[in-house]
Amino acid sequence: MSETKKKVRVAFFDFADCEGCQLQLTYLNTALLDILNSIEIVNFREVMHERSEEYDVAVIEGSITRPHDEERLKDIRAKAKILVAYGACACTGGVNGIMRNHTVKAALETVYPGRKDKMETGLIRAVDQVVKVDAYVHGCPINLNEFAAVLKGLLLGALYKVPDYAVCVECKLKENVCLYEKGQICMGPVTRAGCGAWCTSNGNTCYSCRGLLEDMNKQGQLDILEKHGVTVEMLKDKFSLYNGCKLEGNK
Amino acid sequence: MNIKSRDSKYLKGACMKYNLLEKTKVSELVNALKKKYRVVGPKEKENLFVYGDIEDAGEIRLEHKPPILSLKKYYLPQEEQLLAFKFKEVKAVPVEVKKENLVIFGAHTCDITGIICLDHASSIEPRDSNFHKRKKNVLIIGIECLRPCDEHATCVTMDTHNPKGGFDLMLTDAGNNYIVQVNSTEGENLINEYKFLFKESDAKSEDGLIKMRQEKEKWPRSLKVKTDDLKKTVDSGLKHKEWESVKARCVSCGNCTNVCPTCYCFDIKDDVDLNLNNGTRSRVWDSCQLKEFAEVAGGENFRKDRKSRQQHRLLRKFSFSVEKYNRFFCTGCGRCTRACMAKISLYETMNNLVKE
Ligand code: SF4
Ligand code: SF4
Ligand code: SF4
Repeated sequence: MSETKKKVRVAFFDFADCEGCQLQLTYLNTALLDILNSIEIVNFREVMHERSEEYDVAVIEGSITRPHDEERLKDIRAKAKILVAYGACACTGGVNGIMRNHTVKAALETVYPGRKDKMETGLIRAVDQVVKVDAYVHGCPINLNEFAAVLKGLLLGALYKVPDYAVCVECKLKENVCLYEKGQICMGPVTRAGCGAWCTSNGNTCYSCRGLLEDMNKQGQLDILEKHGVTVEMLKDKFSLYNGCKLEGNK
Repeated sequence: MNIKSRDSKYLKGACMKYNLLEKTKVSELVNALKKKYRVVGPKEKENLFVYGDIEDAGEIRLEHKPPILSLKKYYLPQEEQLLAFKFKEVKAVPVEVKKENLVIFGAHTCDITGIICLDHASSIEPRDSNFHKRKKNVLIIGIECLRPCDEHATCVTMDTHNPKGGFDLMLTDAGNNYIVQVNSTEGENLINEYKFLFKESDAKSEDGLIKMRQEKEKWPRSLKVKTDDLKKTVDSGLKHKEWESVKARCVSCGNCTNVCPTCYCFDIKDDVDLNLNNGTRSRVWDSCQLKEFAEVAGGENFRKDRKSRQQHRLLRKFSFSVEKYNRFFCTGCGRCTRACMAKISLYETMNNLVKE
């Protein structure tokens, strides 16, 4: 890439989240230096003070809650050529979506007892429930390789495509004994792959942090659960842990 | 097309060579092999089995149900680099297959048949050179099954339950000894190299083989469709109502194809370094059960619904493969049935297709 070629300006913005996904990025360290030949980071609260209002790519972390957050996001969308939803909170609403199980009033009373009148919150939404999203980096936290793939895709003009098949695919290739075989419950069959079956390969179960499959055979999935003696009611918490904003009836 | 099943009366070959290996000598053989080869074999993984590297001879489980993935992974790995390229220089060079002498110790006849199928598919033009480079350096020491794994195995109908080639040596349990059938020059060389471990075979042991194989013909058949009728059953059954039930149940998890020893479909993936210049092209396993498999540019999808994808799978196993390679591409290992999230069973589907 020639020195004179204009670098792509990338800005990070955070909304309702723990900033853990942005923090992941600081681990990219030396590898990141390579990509700095092609991009320029112009706004990144975790590691820099200077801000710029001019950018090509806006990376959005966090879910959207308050009316002025919504305005701010729409403003960013208008300025950015490409908008990337970054991390589970941005992509699916993330754990914040649990609030969808409650009224705003009840949530405020529970989370901020005694201070609820001073606090402001609203209907929790994923970024794509407010503005158009061009690329997704799923996961809680995000996987750096996947973010790198998204960036490289943007720079090379070939957008990264998130798999729309189940985590089971990657889990099988890793030769894991299926958790259902061991009498445990796993969200893998309904969850979008791309993580390399990270959790199920490391002694954990899948929590669906990457969001639910688009092309799902719902009745088929329910039948599977029923065969294992599990009802949707029993799984409600598992479904709304990361996908509260995206569940039917919650959209 | 009229397909004849191969002669199921095949019980003992005319000019086979046999030796005996005392069971107590197996560890010694494995340890001797380990000095020269990478030895892999079936090992326990929780309540199932996987093929893996044998660190200690005691790890090998000759008595095992088909491991989670088949032997395919040693010939066509889940992910393998094919090319290394550089954008600026407009240059691409093939990534050479790592040369490695491998001994597979303890493979069942169904899995060995899987490699024979892959060999057929990899031998038509354009030849899959990586497959053949790997195959050249693999020795297979099989273990004959003397009882069916479980009700999901359909090897009797598929006629893969007896050793019929594709291996170098085959062990058959005969009490204190294994009868060792020699099936290749490489197998014979192995016996000569480790002569001190083997004994001459005798007529009594060899007669025993015939009896054991006669007994095997009595194994229960969960796949009731006659071997000669398998192709017809799938070809003429595409409108059968059974497919509606399969369609309703399948969740496209891809397990059936990922565990199958004869599925060889792959996808090509390019990875570029963060410097945006160096990159690699890899192939990764793909599955016809995934929605994106038959999707082409413009978003058109030739097999959008789960019914057509499941039909495609069985056509590939029992019909297209017969037309193209003159053999079934199902080894009867039963993996697809065992691994299906939705408990869709290959033999139940086939059995239902011949019902009204
Ligand atoms: S453990 Fe979970 S992700 Fe893995 S195959 Fe089983 S259900 Fe799928
Ligand atoms: S179709 Fe099923 S039984 Fe046949 S070889 Fe494949 S996994 Fe085994
Ligand atoms: S294993 Fe079962 S549920 Fe999964 S894709 Fe195959 S048939 Fe469908």
